[in-house]
Amino acid sequence: MATTKTVANRAIKARAKATPDRIQNDILSTKAIVNQQIVGNAIHHVAETEELTSRDLPKGDISVPMNLWLDHKTELQARTGLVAVQIAADEFPEDFADEYADIPMIVLPMVAHIDGRSYSHAYKLRTRFNYKGEIRAIGDVKYDQLSFLTRSGCNAFELPAGENLETALNAFSEMSDVYQPSADGGALIFSRRRAVH
Amino acid sequence: MYKYDAVDKTIVSDRVEQFRGQVSRHLAGELSAADLAPLRLRNGLYMQIHAHMLRVSIPYGLLSSEQMHALAQVSRQYDKGYGHFTTRQNIQFNWPELADVPDILKDLSNVEMHAIQTSGNCIRNISSDHYAGVATDEIIDPRPYCEIIRQWSTLHPEFYWLPRKFKIAVTGATQDRAAVKFHDIGLEVVHNDANQVGFRVYVGGGLGRTPVIGKVIKEFLPREDILSYCEAILRVYNLHGRRDNKYKARIKILVNAMGIDDFRDEVEAEWAHFKDGELKLHDVDFETMQAFFPKPAYQELESGDERVAKWRDLDDRFKAWYDNNTVDHIQPGYRIVNISLKEHGVAPGDATDSQMDAIANIAEQFSFGEIRVTHEQNLVLADVREQDLLDIWKALDADRLATPNIGSVNDMICCPGLDFCSLANASSISVAKQINEKFEDFEELYNIGEVKLKMSGCMNACGHHHVGHIGILGVDKKGEEWYQLTVGGDASNNAALGTHLGKAIAKDKVSDAIGDILDVYKDLRSDDERLLDTFRRVGIDPFKEKVYSEEV
Repeated sequence: MATTKTVANRAIKARAKATPDRIQNDILSTKAIVNQQIVGNAIHHVAETEELTSRDLPKGDISVPMNLWLDHKTELQARTGLVAVQIAADEFPEDFADEYADIPMIVLPMVAHIDGRSYSHAYKLRTRFNYKGEIRAIGDVKYDQLSFLTRSGCNAFELPAGENLETALNAFSEMSDVYQPSADGGALIFSRRRAVH
Repeated sequence: MYKYDAVDKTIVSDRVEQFRGQVSRHLAGELSAADLAPLRLRNGLYMQIHAHMLRVSIPYGLLSSEQMHALAQVSRQYDKGYGHFTTRQNIQFNWPELADVPDILKDLSNVEMHAIQTSGNCIRNISSDHYAGVATDEIIDPRPYCEIIRQWSTLHPEFYWLPRKFKIAVTGATQDRAAVKFHDIGLEVVHNDANQVGFRVYVGGGLGRTPVIGKVIKEFLPREDILSYCEAILRVYNLHGRRDNKYKARIKILVNAMGIDDFRDEVEAEWAHFKDGELKLHDVDFETMQAFFPKPAYQELESGDERVAKWRDLDDRFKAWYDNNTVDHIQPGYRIVNISLKEHGVAPGDATDSQMDAIANIAEQFSFGEIRVTHEQNLVLADVREQDLLDIWKALDADRLATPNIGSVNDMICCPGLDFCSLANASSISVAKQINEKFEDFEELYNIGEVKLKMSGCMNACGHHHVGHIGILGVDKKGEEWYQLTVGGDASNNAALGTHLGKAIAKDKVSDAIGDILDVYKDLRSDDERLLDTFRRVGIDPFKEKVYSEEV
C-alpha cells in the first residue's frame, strides 16, 4: 500500500510546481461560508513551496498541500486541531483514492476562478469517491462562482478579503431550476419530464 | 419548433434577473470590470471597438416569426435598426448600452430567447443543418438531438470554465451542411447495421489559428448515450486541456498532442464510470422531443406549378432567383427558399429591422411561421408552396431580399472585420464590397457556378476562410492591410483545408486576384466541374502562376 502512494506522490512532485496551477501564498480568512451560512474561520491554508516541511506549520487548524500530507501523514495526524488537505487544480483526485477515509476536509485552492478544473475535482470527490466531508473552495472564489461550485460538490467557501459575504449568500437562490445532474443529486431534465408523462 | 415548458421559462427568466444583478453590482462598484467580463461574455455581451456587442442565441438556427419580430424590435428600440446574422446561426447587435442589456434579455425571454453561452469559454450554441427536416438527402432529423444537447449543456455547472470555447454541431443528412468535422464535437446521426439510431462522433476539429479536421472518436454511439459520452469528452478536456496559452487551449490541440487513440482511451475510461447512470436517455425522451418538430400540415400537391413555370420563361430576374435561391424539397409541390443577406453594398449577414419584420410576415403567410438562419449568413424559408413562389419573390424583392446569388462568389461569408471587431487585423466588409463590384454581371456569376468564398479579418477565422473554395485572410503588415488567399478548402463531407496561393496581396488587388483565379478555372474546367473540382484535379500551380504573373 505504501508503495503505490509513494509512486503517486513522486509523479506529482515531478511536475513543475511553480506554475499558476498552485497558490503561491498562505491564505487565512476570518470568515467562511459553510452550508450557506456565514461562520468564523481559523483555518490556515499553507501554500506549497519547495522548502516546506512539516516543522514549518503553524499551530491550530490548518490545511496542507497533498504532497506534505502524503510525506508526513502520521506526524500530521498526531497534531491537535484540524488538518485538512488541499488538492490543487493540476492534481487528480483519483491519485489519492486511498487517502480520503483519513482526510476530514478537502480544500480546493483556486488561483483564478476562470480555471474550471476544481469543479471536476469536486464532482469526482462526491460522485466517484463518495467523499462526505467538507469540500471547501478558497482563493479566487467570489459571489458569482458559488452556485456552480455548490452544484459541483463544494459546500464551503472562503472569499477574498473585501468581498461582501452577506450579498454573496444571494448566489444560492438566484437560479431556482436546473437542466442536468451534477454532484448535487439533481435529475436530468428529461427524466423529470418522463416522470410527469 | 421547440416550445419552452415551465422549467425552461424559469431558468431563462432567473438568468435574466441574475445578469441584471451582476450589471447593477458592477454599476454600483461592487463587481469589477475584470470580474464582470467573463460573466457578461457568458450572456453574449462583448466589448468591441466602438461599443458593446450582444450576441443572441438562435438554437440550431431555428426562429419563429414572433421571435424574428422581437429581434427587429430589439434592433429598433436598443440598437441602430439592424442586426448581423453570424456563422454560428446567431444574431449580433452592435450598439447596445450595457445598462439596457438586462431589459433586452428580458424582452427576448418573453419570446423564449436568450443569450446564454453565446460567448465565453463554455459550450456554445448547438449548430445544425439549415435544411433539417426538409432536405431531400436527409436520413434523420437532427433537431431533436440538438435540443436535447442544448438543454443538457445550458448552465452545466462543471463545464462553465473550460480552457476555451467549445462548439458542437449535428447533421443528419448525406451532404454535411453543418461542417461537423470543423467542430470541437461533430455528430453525424446515423443508423447502424441493426437499424438503430446513433451518432458517428468526431472530436477535435476546428478552424481558428490552427485549422484541424475532426477525427472519429466513436464510429457508432447509441443515441441513448449521447449526453454521457459528451460529458466524458468534456470532463477529459476540462481537466487536461491546456490553460497556459489561449491559442493552444482548444480541444483540437489536446487531441493532437495525445493522439486520437490515447484520447479515446481516456474518454472511454472516464465514460465507464457513469455511462449507464442518470444521463442515459430513453426512447420516450426522443419521441417527446421529436413531437416538437412535426412535419408541417402540408397540402397534397403535385410537383411543379404552371404559373411559376410561365413566369420563369417571361422574367429573367424571377428565373435567376428561382434557379439560384430555391432548392428541392422532400414534399411534392413545395420548395425551400433561401433569402440572400448578401445584397451588393450591404455587409454580409446584415438585415434591417424592417427587413426582419418583412421576413417574419412572409414566413407567417407562406412558410408555417418559421425561419432558419444558415451558417453561411443567409436565411431560409423551409416550407413554401411552389405556387406561392412568385408572390414570395415579389415580397422579398420589395425589401431587397431577393438577390439571386446563393452559392455564388458574391454569396460570401465574412466576419465583421476591422470595422467592428477589436481582434481584427484587416477589414473584410470593404473587401466584400470590392468583390461585389467586380462581379456585378450575374450572367457571369452563374457561368462561374458554385464558389464558396469565405473571408476572415484575422487568423481567428470567424469567416471560416480555411474552408472556403476561395479563402481570404486579412493580415496586418506594418500597419497596412494585406490579404492571403487560399484555394480548395471544403467544409462539407470531403473536408479539406485550403491550399496557400502565395504571398499576401495588397488590399486594392484582392478582387483582381479572385478574377484571375476564376479565369484559370474557366479555362481549365471540364464538363460541369465546380472550381473546387477543377482545383482538386489540377492543383494550386496554374492559379498561382496567373495571380502572380504580372508582378514579375
